[in-house]
Amino acid sequence: MSRTVLICDDAIFMRTMVGDILQQAGFEIVGEAETGVQAVEKYKLLRPDLVTMDIVMPDMGGIDAVREITKHDSTARILMCSAMGQQALVVEAIQAGAKDFVVKPFQPSRVLEAVTRVLAA
Amino acid sequence: MDQARYAELFRIESREHLAEIDAALLVLEQTPDAAHIATLFRGTHTIKGMAGAMGYSSVEQVAHALETLLDRLRSGVQPVNADVIALLFDGSDALRITLDDAANGRSVSTSTAVSAMLQRLAAPHQTPISSSAFRTPRAVPGLQHHSEPGRDFVEIFGAVGVPAGETPATPLSDARVVEIRLRADCQLKGVRAMLVLARLNALGTVRTLTPPQDVWQEERFDGVFAATFVSSADAAQIEAGVRGAGDVARVSVRTPEPARPARGVGSDAMRTVRIDLRRLDTLLDLVGELVITRDRLLREADAAVDKGADRALARAAHDTARLVSALQDEVLQARMVPVGQVFDRFPRLVRDISRDLGKDVQFTTEGREIELDRSLLDAIGDPIVHLLRNALDHGIEEPETRLAAGKPPTGQLVLRAGRDRAAVVLQVEDDGRGIDRAAILLRAQDQGLIAPDVTALDDDELLAVLAHAGFSTARAVTSISGRGVGVDVVMTRVRALGGTLELETLEGEGTVFTLRLPVTLAITRALLVQVAGETYALPAAHVVEVLEPAAGTIVTSLAREWIQVRGELLPVIRLRERFGCPPSGDEAFMAVVEASGKRTALAVDALITQQDIVVKTLDVVRGSAALFSGATVLGDGSPALIVDIGSLSG
Repeated sequence: MSRTVLICDDAIFMRTMVGDILQQAGFEIVGEAETGVQAVEKYKLLRPDLVTMDIVMPDMGGIDAVREITKHDSTARILMCSAMGQQALVVEAIQAGAKDFVVKPFQPSRVLEAVTRVLAA
Repeated sequence: MDQARYAELFRIESREHLAEIDAALLVLEQTPDAAHIATLFRGTHTIKGMAGAMGYSSVEQVAHALETLLDRLRSGVQPVNADVIALLFDGSDALRITLDDAANGRSVSTSTAVSAMLQRLAAPHQTPISSSAFRTPRAVPGLQHHSEPGRDFVEIFGAVGVPAGETPATPLSDARVVEIRLRADCQLKGVRAMLVLARLNALGTVRTLTPPQDVWQEERFDGVFAATFVSSADAAQIEAGVRGAGDVARVSVRTPEPARPARGVGSDAMRTVRIDLRRLDTLLDLVGELVITRDRLLREADAAVDKGADRALARAAHDTARLVSALQDEVLQARMVPVGQVFDRFPRLVRDISRDLGKDVQFTTEGREIELDRSLLDAIGDPIVHLLRNALDHGIEEPETRLAAGKPPTGQLVLRAGRDRAAVVLQVEDDGRGIDRAAILLRAQDQGLIAPDVTALDDDELLAVLAHAGFSTARAVTSISGRGVGVDVVMTRVRALGGTLELETLEGEGTVFTLRLPVTLAITRALLVQVAGETYALPAAHVVEVLEPAAGTIVTSLAREWIQVRGELLPVIRLRERFGCPPSGDEAFMAVVEASGKRTALAVDALITQQDIVVKTLDVVRGSAALFSGATVLGDGSPALIVDIGSLSG
């Protein structure tokens, strides 16, 4: 059975891109979220094996979403998707419970390496 | 214990720290901020530690006094003001003096000066200190640690043996040093390092981190760090755990040996080694000889093949030649150092001189990353000091004079490095008053250097006069310059290095001196020519073209010979004549050379070939008619003199 993923990003472009990379690697995209609030709701509903989380999103940012999700499920495997220059925010996200991070622009190999690490941990 | 080697290391490292201290002081003088106080503290602290280890007690005392003062600045007990800055500058000087004395094995001749300095440094402490807390330096994270890998790990070994003031909870045998290097292409290295730390914390207890964690989020964190770590996990488990954090290029897990001496510990994280300069010189000499032999080998192999030998011989010879060339490039590259290393000492110098002269000067350096052969780097220091002093003394005006001339009161002095094809270009530029051509002309005519009927000097002529040994225009001899050793010293030094000096000056606007130097001294491309049966080398950088003049193209005018080359009339110099050999009058070839923007045609008997030569310097007496800048040994073992193109046309 393939692993399930919830993709959280406010940009369709980024969601499509991450989705394509993961789908090609055999993951099943079970849901997408455009805001932090949606991310938390969909996580509770879908219980995916993996969450990719953008940092800056409207209506609750990614970091708060990580906090909410891990409060609900401490074993949640969340991969942060950050842009260059967001080092401090990534640190915060990791402290909030995210397991790893990738930096935009995405290189498929790096995304998959990170995903593998998150799922192995 | 190899005391001499430590002394050498101490000398080199403490110099670097002193340079850092001076640089930080200069910034602090402009804008007091905590970061630079921290840098000063760190540098002083390190010097104190090293001096203690070497038993240099006077250095240790001065460093300690400085450090105590800096700690008061850091904690805000003592405000940063002009007096304190001046005191710090003097303290840094005292440190330099005691360091030099100690490193040269002199017993402290300056003890009176030092104790006076110690008293001055201690003086601010006489203001009441309510709590003894200020006396001991506070443990501020990051201050006691340097990010330089070698030393960091040394400090860690100390820390593992004796965790300060605490009894180890776990037996010492479980303590490890884990050194980690993240992949070079790892993004957000600081965050990745945090993930590594989380993995370590899952396996055991991390005692110390080097560099400390607060440095990780800084730009300069290069992804190399180490942890002292207490854990019952074995090395393989630790390594696997660390690698699981991702983007880890390398992990090493070691058990520190408490008895290990602090120095001489090889660290995997060390990527550079210090090499004695003499070793590099010897290496370069050997490669130079190898290059000469390479050329001979190629010639012999080709000749042998022509006579019917196996082609395999020629192939092997050509392969060897290629490898020798690659080796030569590598060795030359290994000797390259950024000019910034020399530039570092100038801001302080400029500050001190401009203070003495009552001038307001902003000094900037550009192109610090430009690389130059180590031997050249050492040699350019003095000429640059001369030019900077000249600019400060004669070029840049006093603030009132500048204001009166409608200029900003602060003068600009720029030291610039750049590359121009095979040359490194160094410029000293000021926006001062420029050189007074009329005054120089008058003075030069007084001294009989210039014919009385000359009415104006162009930049080149001006430079020639200024570079004349003993010529000086300074109205009063100052302690800075004007003793008649300025431009002539620079010119002599620069020529000896195979370089050229140029001058551009505009009255009221400023002056630019331009030094053009070969990137490396040691090996240079040259055109070999024959003059009166001897072989001479013309540095290829100066050779524009070679030609075979047709009969009748040389004309005589104004008691000189000239040749027309593509519409340009060039002066002809017959090398036979210049070298004092019997004239022949019908040299078959001309080499057109260029120096300081002037072209000259050199008449020679024959052109031999173009090849790399290894330059050996000649001891030339300053001021003598130096026609040659050095000598070389040719492939067949015979010597050849290297013609100093710059001095020919002069």
